[in-house]
Amino acid sequence: MATTAFPAPAHVPGYAGETGIWSWLTTVDHKRIGILYLYTALFFFMFGGLEAIVIRAQLGAPNQRLVSPEFYNQLFTMHGTTMIFLAIMPLSAAFFNFLIPLQIGARDVAFPRLNAFSYWVYLFGGIFITVPIFFAVAPDGGWFGYAPLTIKQYSQGVNIDFWVMGLQILGVSSLAAAFNFITTIINLRAPGMSLMRMPMFTWMAFIVQILLILAFPVITIALVFLLFDRFFGTNFYNTVGAGADPLLWQHLFWIFGHPEVYILILPAFGLVSEVLPAHSKKPLFGYPVMVYSGILIAVLGFGVWAHHMFAVGMGPIADTFFAMSTMLIAIPTGVKIFNWIATMAQGAIRLTTAMLFGISLVGLFTIGGISGIMHASPPADLQQTDTYFIVAHFHYVLFGGSIMGIFAGIYHYFPKVMGRMMDERLGLIHFWLTFIAMNLTFFPMHFAGMQGMPRRIYTFDAGQGWDVYNMMSTVGAMIFPIAMLIFIYNFFKSRKSGAIAGSNPWGAGTLEWTIPSPPPEYNFATIPTVTSRYPLWEGKEVDMESARANSVEGKTAADLGIVLPYNTIKPLIVAFGLVLMFCGLLTTQMLIYIGAAIMVGALYWWLLSPLEPEHH
Amino acid sequence: MIGSDRLRRIASYALSAALVIAVVACSESHPNSTLVPRSDFGREIDFLWDRMLLIGTIVFVLTEGALLYVVLKYRRRENQPPPPQTHGSTKLEITWTLIPAVILVFIAVPTVRTIVTTQAAAAPGALNIDVIGHQWWWEFRYADHGITTANEIYIPAGRTVNFRLRSADVIHSFWAPQLGGKRDVVTNRTNYLWLTPDSATASMVWNGFCAEYCGTAHTYMRFRVFTVTPQEFDSWAAGQKMPARFGAVGPPAPTGGPIPPPLEAPGITTPTGPGAPSPAAQAAAPQTPAFATATGAMEPGYIFPRNRIPDYAVPSAPIPDELSFTAGLTGNAHRGRQIFSSKTCIGCHSIAGNPAAMGVLGPNLTHFGSRSTIAAGLYPNTPAYLALWIKNARAMKPGALMPALGLNEYDPTLKSTVTAATGGLTDQEIADIVAYLTTLK
Amino acid sequence: MTAAATHHYTTTGLDNRKIAIWAFIGSECMLFTSLISTYMIYKGRSVVGPFPHRPWTDPTTGQTLPPILDIPVTSASTFVLLMSSLFMVLALAAVQNKNLPKHTRGDRILGSSKLWLWATALAGATFLGFQAYEFTSFVHEGLTIKTNLFGSTFFTLTGFHGAHVTAGVLWLVTLLAIDYRRGLTPRDAMNVDLAALYWHFVDVIWIVIFTLIYLLQ
Repeated sequence: MATTAFPAPAHVPGYAGETGIWSWLTTVDHKRIGILYLYTALFFFMFGGLEAIVIRAQLGAPNQRLVSPEFYNQLFTMHGTTMIFLAIMPLSAAFFNFLIPLQIGARDVAFPRLNAFSYWVYLFGGIFITVPIFFAVAPDGGWFGYAPLTIKQYSQGVNIDFWVMGLQILGVSSLAAAFNFITTIINLRAPGMSLMRMPMFTWMAFIVQILLILAFPVITIALVFLLFDRFFGTNFYNTVGAGADPLLWQHLFWIFGHPEVYILILPAFGLVSEVLPAHSKKPLFGYPVMVYSGILIAVLGFGVWAHHMFAVGMGPIADTFFAMSTMLIAIPTGVKIFNWIATMAQGAIRLTTAMLFGISLVGLFTIGGISGIMHASPPADLQQTDTYFIVAHFHYVLFGGSIMGIFAGIYHYFPKVMGRMMDERLGLIHFWLTFIAMNLTFFPMHFAGMQGMPRRIYTFDAGQGWDVYNMMSTVGAMIFPIAMLIFIYNFFKSRKSGAIAGSNPWGAGTLEWTIPSPPPEYNFATIPTVTSRYPLWEGKEVDMESARANSVEGKTAADLGIVLPYNTIKPLIVAFGLVLMFCGLLTTQMLIYIGAAIMVGALYWWLLSPLEPEHH
Repeated sequence: MIGSDRLRRIASYALSAALVIAVVACSESHPNSTLVPRSDFGREIDFLWDRMLLIGTIVFVLTEGALLYVVLKYRRRENQPPPPQTHGSTKLEITWTLIPAVILVFIAVPTVRTIVTTQAAAAPGALNIDVIGHQWWWEFRYADHGITTANEIYIPAGRTVNFRLRSADVIHSFWAPQLGGKRDVVTNRTNYLWLTPDSATASMVWNGFCAEYCGTAHTYMRFRVFTVTPQEFDSWAAGQKMPARFGAVGPPAPTGGPIPPPLEAPGITTPTGPGAPSPAAQAAAPQTPAFATATGAMEPGYIFPRNRIPDYAVPSAPIPDELSFTAGLTGNAHRGRQIFSSKTCIGCHSIAGNPAAMGVLGPNLTHFGSRSTIAAGLYPNTPAYLALWIKNARAMKPGALMPALGLNEYDPTLKSTVTAATGGLTDQEIADIVAYLTTLK
Repeated sequence: MTAAATHHYTTTGLDNRKIAIWAFIGSECMLFTSLISTYMIYKGRSVVGPFPHRPWTDPTTGQTLPPILDIPVTSASTFVLLMSSLFMVLALAAVQNKNLPKHTRGDRILGSSKLWLWATALAGATFLGFQAYEFTSFVHEGLTIKTNLFGSTFFTLTGFHGAHVTAGVLWLVTLLAIDYRRGLTPRDAMNVDLAALYWHFVDVIWIVIFTLIYLLQ
């Protein structure tokens, strides 16, 4: 192994002339947009966590009335919606933005301004869908908003309107970002960076983008139908009045919804596939199989949607088909788990915070996988679906999987992003508190579910056999905020005064570790040439040359003659116009026209102005 | 970084904590357990569950064991040379692709078999019960017997029951955990669910729930299943089939003449706070005398004895603080009948035997007095709770379709106060209606 | 729509925008698949009329409404839209070959990007005109988006397609504006190429829609 150590600099270099709010509003730098995503998504993550805490407080003991049932329904709807669309997906997007160009040796994403647009749409959409909860008119149809409950006849308030439009807005953001990343990954890889040399995180990101562009249009249409039903009196979900099919929504939603599960988990898989090798000093075990299993999961992921619907009475043939396809998808997922374990085997493991989060993903996701198989069996699912057993299952997948993986990524990449190390002692406290809280909160839910507790109930009678489990879950949930406060303190303290990281503090092998931390705005002084999967570990002389050239600090883009895109406010204005249009649908028609005018006007202005100075 | 000693110590703490928790949890009784099935359907599912739990536990122990072993064994040591840079092993990877595949066969085969057996048509001679989900209560119709009731079903133990599930509005899900799996109750289609409660379940009560989120009062869409002997079932069915008569159906009650006050609305303000259904309130509920004969057929009108309903099937929801009822009122059932028949009640409720009451939006009240709960299992059916329910249903069950009826009550859905002009009922009138409804056995 | 991105290094050698538009078209396929599937699922399940292919007698009034689709008229508009794809091909070729010498009158006609862009845009606008006519006449005959499942699915599906055509016409008009301002050159070929890909996609989708709604009884 040829680990090349580059000396750590004495100070953290920053971007010259790149400070102040205006520079953040107009930035098109993928790294800064990644940071914006990170902060925003962490904020929404804590907000969604707060909602969960109120839910757990309400369920801590039987027959409590801390909040009204109406508000409770808003809380669990918004908890799910927030965590999925405003926390986990954008946290992944933060990593996509920051890492993809660095991992493939590119100076930016393919469409830098579109990238900024995605972020601003996400921010405005997030605000749009979150604000109603302060007025107790938040969406209340559950995160999968089953029609016909969500049509006007059964949900008369504006609650569902906010949900429908909020998700549409967020969909625009995700789709725009997905086209951008797909193009980036296909087209901006450095010379020698073949598909089978791409870092695993970029691979998983690529698969996620493809899932996004194929899955999001389906929910877009499902939501358009719902929007038309609610605003223009169409009949798509009008079951009682017009004979509509009550399962149409469920099919459309889950054709999107199941790939969405992989959209949530694969980025974390990718992050862990970077963290485990770096902290074990061993290449990822079975790289090609990891790639193929990821692709297989994505393909099969489009053929399993109806396993969310085993109780709706689809009949034995459909039940059997979807049971089999679901069990099949467990195989590539299992392979990933075993390959991760094999990656660590015989390695030199350092139990850093990042590594502990990474290892706990492997351990906790396994639990979620096993319970997943249990409800892949339709008859067994009839006792499990819509109970707390399911709640336990998907929290093991999404918290134990996605969130643990994302934290592993944050601890692993913080030095690259900020140029300083995070405090390991505080990190370990954060990890152990999170790990204990996670298991104490979600493991008892398995029991509550098998003892007959339906999900989404506002309260329960005493003597149902659920008191102890719920009390335990509530106690566990109260530990999360403590862990998060420690994390936030550590984050900001380390950003200010952590140890200087240097370009490659973990001795990792991939391309992003060849450049200074934080990376200069142009990323790579010279576009690297790549000959292996881990240029810093297994690279030939040409890799080392690129690495040496790119580790040089203190040069500006102008020094190197690198042309960078102009900063611009236009994407923000387009995003603002778009959201204004949706606001108009809820208030006055005038606003729709104003929003549309702003959007189209700014769009033309954007498209007709050059991205960057002309080359010479 | 922590030493492996510390890791082991933490692991042992975690294990002992888990054991303590397990002991505490097991000491709780589990009346809704899916793990103690009491029907053929439940047992089919339980067989699968047991197998998956066994396989799952083995996989869990092996995988987590391997993970822990690797993490503890391959910690980096001082001055360790770089580890071997292995890139993979086709043999190993094929092995751990095939092993899960083989394991899955052992789950898939019984799964398919169970799908086929449990979704076959119900055995001939099954008792058909039509289940209609409403926001937020259950309507039950025994087509073969001509019975319509709500929120409580009686089924004979040992006989197959075929539930035909339909919805009047949104999607619900019908689930009595200990009797078997759930099935969604979907608009515009009929779903089927059949099960045979064990013969040993005679004289037992099971909780049922709506398991699909269906709006504001989803939580309060519960039902009760009474598994009774075939004789008791026949007697119950015969009683339910009769139109409501004044006075109880079973043991003839005096008709004509003033009804002996079944209700003193006393203690209507007492059942507040947790544990509301005090023994007093229970005792106030009219008891059904046992009138089974020694052998064979019973007289019509069997009702599951209130005093034998176990605690877990007696609702314990507290009453909202803002509700109160004048103490010491005595209701007159005759007057109550008149009021019921001339006010908005009849717009939604039917009472066979009362030609004025033909509404179909709310539960059929023909044998209302025979039910053990009101408001879809939210409160016990005692005069005290019933009076408050009539007074302001929406304060007791947010979202309920039934409006507040008591004079000067605030209706949270309409956001207005009930006045005399809008037909508000005085406490005395409510007490009269309660007296009337309570006689409907 | 700037030419700036064209001279950056790319892995495949293709322009970034070309890859992005293919990804976009892939995504759009799923969009229309969802719309078309819903139409097919609800086909023949309307509780009340008017129906697309068979007459319907209103039980309340006893009035009989004829089948609502006017297949000859829509066939004509379909033909116009198909022709527009041909014009689009010619427009792209004209831009790509802008710098070739033009000897004959035919060369000059074929080489006029303005002419063919105009032709494409007008054909698109004509198609939209047919659609507007169709929609209004349906409303007059008693079929609105609220009437029944057919009305909801029909107007939404064809309306979505119409919106795509409208966006395409706007795109073409923008290209025309550029052409009039400074003239489109082979350097702009990629911009026209992107519009052409989109335009052909919208055409192909219409063929599917036309077959499933109008031809399949």
